[in-house]
Order: sequence, then C-alpha cells, then structure tokens
Amino acid sequence: MQDNPRDAHLERKLETWAASQSDAELRPEIQRKVRGLLMSSLTPVKPLPSQNKLALAFLAVFAACAVGLIAVVDKAGFHLMTGAQMGWMAAILAGGGILFSLALARRMVPGSRQGFPLSLVLALSGIGVIGGIALFFPWQASRAFVSEGWPCAAMELMIAVPAAVVFWLLARRGALFASAGLGAVLTGLAVFLALVPLQVQCMFLQAPHLVVWHAGTAAVLIGLGALTGELLGHRWMS
Amino acid sequence: MGETRIDDRELRDLMTRYQRADPVALDELVRRISPPLLRYFGGSWVGRNDVEDLLQDCWIKIHRSRHTYRVSEPLMPWIYAIARHTRLDAYRKQRRLESREVLVASVPEGLHQMLPETQPEQDDFDRLIASLPEAQREVIVMLKVSGMSLEEVAKATSSTIGAVKQKAHRAYETLRRAMGKDRENAR
Repeated sequence: MQDNPRDAHLERKLETWAASQSDAELRPEIQRKVRGLLMSSLTPVKPLPSQNKLALAFLAVFAACAVGLIAVVDKAGFHLMTGAQMGWMAAILAGGGILFSLALARRMVPGSRQGFPLSLVLALSGIGVIGGIALFFPWQASRAFVSEGWPCAAMELMIAVPAAVVFWLLARRGALFASAGLGAVLTGLAVFLALVPLQVQCMFLQAPHLVVWHAGTAAVLIGLGALTGELLGHRWMS
Repeated sequence: MGETRIDDRELRDLMTRYQRADPVALDELVRRISPPLLRYFGGSWVGRNDVEDLLQDCWIKIHRSRHTYRVSEPLMPWIYAIARHTRLDAYRKQRRLESREVLVASVPEGLHQMLPETQPEQDDFDRLIASLPEAQREVIVMLKVSGMSLEEVAKATSSTIGAVKQKAHRAYETLRRAMGKDRENAR
C-alpha cells in the first residue's frame, strides 16, 4: 500500500493518527469500578471443550435423535427405496449432519477462525440433496402433488422447530451472539435431522415431490432461521 | 504503536488464571486490556462517558463469557469479538433512542476530546477517519491502533483475511480520495 509518495503520505498520517489514539488512558476510578463489578462473581469456570469435541457432541445428539425418530415413525419409504437410493440419501443426510455440526461448533467461540464459510456449507448441502434426488429418483409428477406434499412439509416443520430449540440450548453456552449465520447453521442441523425420519416414512419417492416438499421446505426453514438470527441481530444470548 | 502491542503469551496465562478465579490476574487483565478497548470504542458516535460505559459493559460480557476462551487461541481476537458486539449493541440502543427523540440537543462528543490537543491538520484527519463507514473504520482501528495482524482482525470480525484486506483497501481508497479533495480545496 506504499507504492507511491501519496501512499507514503497517507501511511505517515495513519501512523500519527494511531499514535495519538494510543494516549487514551484508563482512569483509576474506572479500573476500580470494573474490578468491583466483576470481583463479586469471580468464581472458577470450566473452559469449553475443543471445537472437534463440540462437533462430536452435536453429531452424537443428531444421531441419537435420528435413531429415536426412525424408531417411532412408519417405515413405508424405507421399504420402497432401492439400495442406491437408500445409500445415497443416508450418505447425504449423515454428511449434512457432520457438516452443520462442524459449522455450529466453529460458531461457538467468539473470535475463532470460521474454518469454512457458511455459504460453502449451504452450497455443498444443497448440491448434495438436490443432486442426489435428481440422479436417483424418477422425475414423475403426481396428480395429487399438493395434497401428498403438504403433510411432509408439516412433519418436517414439526420436527425441525423443536430440534432447532434443542440445538440452540446446547449451543448457547458458547454461541454468545445471535446472528443470521448462527440462525442458518442451527436450523440447518435441525432440518437435516428432520429429513431423516421424513425420508424413512415418506412413500412418495418422486423427484418433484422430494425437491419441493422435502428440500424446498428445508431451504425455506433455513432461510427463516437466518432471518430470525438477523432480526435478533447480534443480541447477547448467554 | 509499539506500546499498543501486548504480549499475547502473557495475556493467555493471565486469562487462564482469571478462569481459575485469580483476582490478581483479573486486575492485571483489566489494567492491560482496557486501554486498547478504550481506543477501540472511541469513535464518531461516542463521547467519553459513553466510551467508559462501553468499557464497563464489555468487561461484564467478557466476565460472563470467560468460559468460552480457549488457551490454544490468541486472546485479543476473542476480546475484540466481544467488544465488537458490545459496540453493536450500544449502537443499536443509541439508534433506537435517537429515533424516539424529536430534537437532538447536542452533537455527540467525540473521543478526540479526551485526547491531548492535536494539530488542526490532524483534527481534519480524525474527521476523515470518523467519516469512514463503520466496517472500514473498525478494520483500520484494529490494524493501526491496536496493532493486530490481518488474521487476528479476521478472527475478531468473524470474517476472512481477504475480506479484511478488501475493507482496508477501500478505507485507504476513501482516505486517499478525501485527502486529494482537501488538497484541491486548499489551492
């Protein structure tokens, strides 16, 4: 940034300005006040575990909830799917769970490296789900597209909302500020959890149904999660 | 700027002791970290009392979230991430208050009022810095006043090194243009 004399002049100005800012001193009475505020509640605290351990914890909760939900829902879809369809959907849903668990763990510590951007997490999971459906499921539209579809969307919503609350309760010890990114990641993990029992139960295994009512609802819910985070706007959560 | 850089290894040690409830470590952290925080909070929309209120608010938040700090990470980006949200919270509150007011009684007092007198030319430069968009000003303050590295700023602002470089570049462009205009006007 110092290629020409004008830049050197600007650099000098910035250095002088920075030096003048360094004169801000902490007044002793403020130091005493801060000390007084904090000292009464100064107790030992246990630091958060590492990000990998946090991600594993989220993934364990994801897996436990998924197994529990699979156990209680009807398994019509499971019996109708081919081996390739089942394998691909299992890989995608597990992959989504891992990806969003990692992303959530990385958002739990203020000032830590984000690792991979949220846009990449969303793009990868979107491409995985839509691509898998497009490749492995037939493109036949049913005549009862809406009446077959909305119960799936409603079921996804009914599972995703409480799941998002559970993940938020788990994350709030570290995720201190609400933000669009945190909202999207929390809802993303909850939505992938909701997609597991939905895929096992749903007997309408046509690509248009899965894209619109399963993946489409998931996208809308993630968007709403991001919007909620944005509206709460960096509010202190802990 | 040399004295604005703080030995991060020592700070990490103090922070670990603070997590174990060592009052001496708390005192030392308040003494060492508060001046850079005061500089960070000083800006276009805050007066001296506001800056000190922000500092107290920030310390309360640091205290409440001290369990989220991990000794394997540098301390200052963690501190600045909390300071950044304290500032955003306060800015939002101020905006809400201002929107309810019919008349603005006075122009907010700037941080420059708590600093020693500077040359008129430097006052102009203070105004130029204050007129930068908040995200650009924040990056310039962290890089130049706090002496943080690009990576530390990226961590503190939850963004990437590329995004920080871009904001710094835009801030430089804006300052360069404004300084050019000032010179033309002076002729």
